[in-house]
Amino acid sequence: MSGSARASIFTSLLAATAAFAGETTPDPGRVATLRLEAGIAQTPSVYLVLDPPRRVLEIKARGTVLDTIDLRGIEVVTRQPLLAERPTRPVTVPAVWRIVGEPADDHRELIAPVELRPMPKEEEDEESDGAGTTTPAPAGPTPTPTPAPEPEATYRAHLDGGWDLLICEQLPPRGVVERFAAAVRDGWQRLRGEGGDDPPAIALAMAAEDGRRLHHLLRSGTSILVAAGAP
Amino acid sequence: MSVEPDRRELFSALPAPRARRRGLVVVLSLFGLFGLALGAALLVARSGRPQHGAPFVTETALTPDEEDPVRVAKRAAQATTALDRVRPRGNYLVVDSYRNRLRLYEDGALKHEAVCSTGTGTILRDPRNGREWIFDTPIGERVIERKVKNPVWAKPDWAFIEEGYLPPSNPEERFDPYSLGDYALYLGNGYIIHGTLFQTLLGRRVTHGCIRLGDKDLELIYRNVRIGTRVYLY
Repeated sequence: MSGSARASIFTSLLAATAAFAGETTPDPGRVATLRLEAGIAQTPSVYLVLDPPRRVLEIKARGTVLDTIDLRGIEVVTRQPLLAERPTRPVTVPAVWRIVGEPADDHRELIAPVELRPMPKEEEDEESDGAGTTTPAPAGPTPTPTPAPEPEATYRAHLDGGWDLLICEQLPPRGVVERFAAAVRDGWQRLRGEGGDDPPAIALAMAAEDGRRLHHLLRSGTSILVAAGAP
Repeated sequence: MSVEPDRRELFSALPAPRARRRGLVVVLSLFGLFGLALGAALLVARSGRPQHGAPFVTETALTPDEEDPVRVAKRAAQATTALDRVRPRGNYLVVDSYRNRLRLYEDGALKHEAVCSTGTGTILRDPRNGREWIFDTPIGERVIERKVKNPVWAKPDWAFIEEGYLPPSNPEERFDPYSLGDYALYLGNGYIIHGTLFQTLLGRRVTHGCIRLGDKDLELIYRNVRIGTRVYLY
């Protein structure tokens, strides 16, 4: 009997036993999520699992949790006039979103020598002389480099399907005064020709440190599985 | 004997009509200015489109077939089996390139954690042709392809260009027997888990994409992983 046939019989028996024993069957939403994950985990890529009920973002590979980020909140963020709020449409889950536009990499440092010169003869001689001794020839950066610039804690990545993913420390304010102040600020920027209309975004609020460490994972093609159902 | 206050004294304590009028004008002016400022703010706010947060509402789109209890249980078992098949077994490594930590796991249980150094994220540009290298530690799953004791580093072009030198035409000039330390675990595409001459820089993003470890940690990792061991980098 083949392995797949045995697996099929096993799962059928398992399902039948569970149904017969009156056990609580798994949440259909969770099972649909599991099935989607089983597909993503066939590739060697790192992927993210957003679990809204648990307010957790997991960094995973091959079905194994590598790290977890606790979320302060999840919201759908849109740009709207102050007095004309439109209801946002619900998000269908489970779903797999893919990053199609990476967040900006402005923090990267560029090393661009103007010209290259030949290796000096003296160094070559010193190296060959020292080859038999314990004098090492250090490679790579100098021992006291300047700290690498950090990425921003608040940024956007574009998702397929028209949504953006907004990583931020704070969700938009809910209070009347704060919202009015935000409207005045945005209106003033627009009057000066600086304002812009961002696409609607799924905002994930998290600690600034978590936002920074997530930045390099949001590369084009990275999958984000949005879980459904109760944990 | 009672002393009655002089009525003229009492009236002189009150502000004169002109002073009262001036005070009234100041108050009304302040109200007017406030009203104007509020009106201007309202006009400006009308043209604004601030970010508005709405609750994250989800809807689960499942077909009746996907909600059938027997099929749900069967599919759950199938998905679990599929995930179990791809999950790492035995020893595997996990590298957190933001926090600069390398962890050794055995069947999901943490066995050892070490401070490491990972890629700077810097971009190097070759002035001759504009070719660029990005010094990132890769992300995703890799396997240990090779294990070498007393490794010799064949320096690639970028190691010379970064120092402002032309890459040598003689391959002999590329060999460096010191920089990689006592052991090297090759991950493919030039990425290596190796030792370092700069132990004080462990825990910082200072490499060209390789993972540097301290001497003791490197020896422990070298002895506990075999060729084919999976490495997860994120």
